[in-house]
Amino acid sequence: MSRFKVNFIFSVLFVVFGVALGFLGNGDKFRRKVTVELNPGLKPPSSLPPGVALVHARGLGLNDTLHFVLCNLGAPALLLVHTNSTESAVQVTWPAFINRSSPGSLRVAPESSVTYSSALVFTRIWEYDDVNNTADPQETAESSFYSPYELQNFIWSDLNTTANQSDHVITLCGRENTESFANGSLCLRLSVFESAGRDRAWPSLLHNSNSSQLHVWLDGLTPRGNLSRFALEFQSVGDSGFQGRVDVRSSIDDEYTPSIFKVFDWVSLPLNSSSVWGFSQWKPVAYRKPEPVFEDATPCRHSPLVPVSRIPQSAAVRAYFTHEPQVRGLNISFGVDKDPVHYSDTRHISWTVLMGMGDPPADSFSTLIIIIMAVGLGTPLAIIIVGGVFVCVRKRMTRASVYEPIN
Amino acid sequence: MAVREEHRSILDEDEEEDEDEGSRHLSPLCDPRHLLHRILVLVFMCFLGFGSYFCYDNPAALQTQVIQDMSLNTASFMQLYAWYSWPNMFLCFLGGFLLDRVFGIRLGTVIFSLFVLIGQIIFAAGALANHFWLMNVGRFVFGIGGESLAVAQNTYAVNWFKGKELNLVFGLQLSMARLGSTVNMNVIGWVYGRIQSLTGSAGHSTLGITLMIAASTCLFSLTCALILGFLDRRAEKILKKEQGRTGEVIKLTDVKDFPFSLWLIFIICVAYYVAIFPFIGLGQVFFIEKFSFTTVQARAINSIVYIISAPASPLLGFLVDRTGRNVLWVLLAVVTTLLSHMMLAFTFWNPWIAMCLLGLSYSLLACALWPMVAFVVPEHQLGTAYGFMQSIQNLGLAVMSMAAGSLLDNKGYLFLEVFFIACLCMALLAVVLLYLYDYHTEGELNLSASTRAERLKAE
Repeated sequence: MSRFKVNFIFSVLFVVFGVALGFLGNGDKFRRKVTVELNPGLKPPSSLPPGVALVHARGLGLNDTLHFVLCNLGAPALLLVHTNSTESAVQVTWPAFINRSSPGSLRVAPESSVTYSSALVFTRIWEYDDVNNTADPQETAESSFYSPYELQNFIWSDLNTTANQSDHVITLCGRENTESFANGSLCLRLSVFESAGRDRAWPSLLHNSNSSQLHVWLDGLTPRGNLSRFALEFQSVGDSGFQGRVDVRSSIDDEYTPSIFKVFDWVSLPLNSSSVWGFSQWKPVAYRKPEPVFEDATPCRHSPLVPVSRIPQSAAVRAYFTHEPQVRGLNISFGVDKDPVHYSDTRHISWTVLMGMGDPPADSFSTLIIIIMAVGLGTPLAIIIVGGVFVCVRKRMTRASVYEPIN
Repeated sequence: MAVREEHRSILDEDEEEDEDEGSRHLSPLCDPRHLLHRILVLVFMCFLGFGSYFCYDNPAALQTQVIQDMSLNTASFMQLYAWYSWPNMFLCFLGGFLLDRVFGIRLGTVIFSLFVLIGQIIFAAGALANHFWLMNVGRFVFGIGGESLAVAQNTYAVNWFKGKELNLVFGLQLSMARLGSTVNMNVIGWVYGRIQSLTGSAGHSTLGITLMIAASTCLFSLTCALILGFLDRRAEKILKKEQGRTGEVIKLTDVKDFPFSLWLIFIICVAYYVAIFPFIGLGQVFFIEKFSFTTVQARAINSIVYIISAPASPLLGFLVDRTGRNVLWVLLAVVTTLLSHMMLAFTFWNPWIAMCLLGLSYSLLACALWPMVAFVVPEHQLGTAYGFMQSIQNLGLAVMSMAAGSLLDNKGYLFLEVFFIACLCMALLAVVLLYLYDYHTEGELNLSASTRAERLKAE
């Protein structure tokens, strides 16, 4: 009986640990040497409008280079280019780039070394009057929509770059020249990483050296209605021959983003292949305060992916993609059905997306959890084994030594 | 409103009351000697606790609404449970004393029912006035009444049914308690919805009105207490019997004589129950967030533990009584609870499986654990031992409720579940040690029922 029990518990624990260790798996040790430069090669008389910049982050690997270009001339765009050379460089033909953003005025040379390129463009902010309180723009009548804020018309300020040990952070804020933006701004913060890790601030997405993170927040904007909610429109631009889709992954692990059990991956993969080349990853959560606590989290949802026929009005994208690129768009909207809190209550919403190449990172259990589980299950198990041996020995001894008289 | 009720069921039905055959002619329904009259009394007895059970889990059933309407975080939400537990750390010792020496059972019952009612009204008023501290005060007052009311309920049961249908009555009262919790879990959210559509908006006043309506169940229970008091006095006059007593004698100096195995039982009790009740308190949103349940489904699954426990408790109690081997049963209960928490934490399997398992193991533990106390302490220390057990259980629940709330706020559900699993591992460790200790000292905790009976005969 007790031996059966011991065996049973032992096998249960074995299975559990096996699963736990399986999740542990791949620690990402790969590092890149990241350097950031502002407006590479820009010389007078060429000059950019105030607040506008082209930031180039170069991540040098062992035998490849990953370029990130963030440019807010036109709609802000984050361009990712991967090359299989350690010598590749970003070249901008500035007059052509500034005036007409003519194709080819932004290139990564040598062009033959480029293996994959893709861009994420942030095109519009939608505002709608959520009269039915569904927080779903798909379900909202078109008449409830206000005219969108076009990011290509924004006036930008405050570009600032900071760097610490392993991350390089670039922040830029912009606003439209309207009443609504009198005290408000839209900010983008790009973080480029040398190695794997995660931000301390929620949603604490896991990143690696093959990805960069864009944190978007909309602060102090005067909503045009009391029931206003917002949605962000994104477009992804990629080489033809790639298809895109949004995958949902369920994760049991919400340790880093409390109460969020899903991860969305907007992946891009070659038409006849199933291997993922690039991704944009986010968790379905936005935060209503600059320094959020648990209650400030609000769910967010995305619209279905739609093909877009026009290339977005972004200088970097128009200048880089020379051959008919593929453009797809989707909206990210904030709030949940019957959500009593609207934008006007906190006047802040923030959302984070990770963009990178290769497979999207997947969360694994933290060491703390594994230690707790190991100690928690291991101690009783050890005592069961030791105690089981003790009981067995003692039983055998009593059986062997005592031929007691029958009374 | 944890588990205070289970242990009463081991009270022996020893003395047969010699009935006084004084014959006055009363109809069976009005004759205190008649079964029909006792059934009538039983009905009031069962509904005596209904209000407090119904209202105890109001916060769990309205978790999202309370958090939203009062703009709380989870940690402060869980304070509602902690404030309920604080007074009961002391009242476990005092309740019996107050009933026996100060108020008497009848007045005592009415007073405790009043506390429950007033507590719930303060709780609701706190919501109406949008003062969270007032809600906490309400829960505190409610707690003063709630646990002691259960003691009173049991005393009544012993007084009326001793030597007759006592175990059945205890079983029925327990099922009634579970029924109260279940009805609350499934109904109060609907009530809130109705009021919301009547008033046109959700907010703290909607919450307040809902809680006021819930208070009507406490008013109902108070009425039962009054009627019961009347019937009891009438019976006393007719039968010339004494007022019922809890018979609990608490001597805190006994604590130093408690055997090692009793301390292990205390550890199991605290470590096990903190993995159950705070979880149910936080469960609703967990099922919504992790398993994409609708609110109605989440309430239903959150109440399944109570629903299962209502019929399972008497059945499993019977099983444990017949087989003995309490330690193994407790071990089984802890291990299955551990498994079900692991399922909830590490898988997306249908949570109904895990929750049903949890309901069964919870009932099994209650049946097997509480009676063990009687095997390890002499009878005159039983009152102290049970009082102490409930007291530290309440301490554990109060502290762990708040810990669980802030853990969830900062670390999420997986970590919370791992925390509960760690608590259960602690319980598991204590059970294993208890088994070994009992084996080593040749105690009778893990004997089969037949061996126990033989030992008893030999003495």
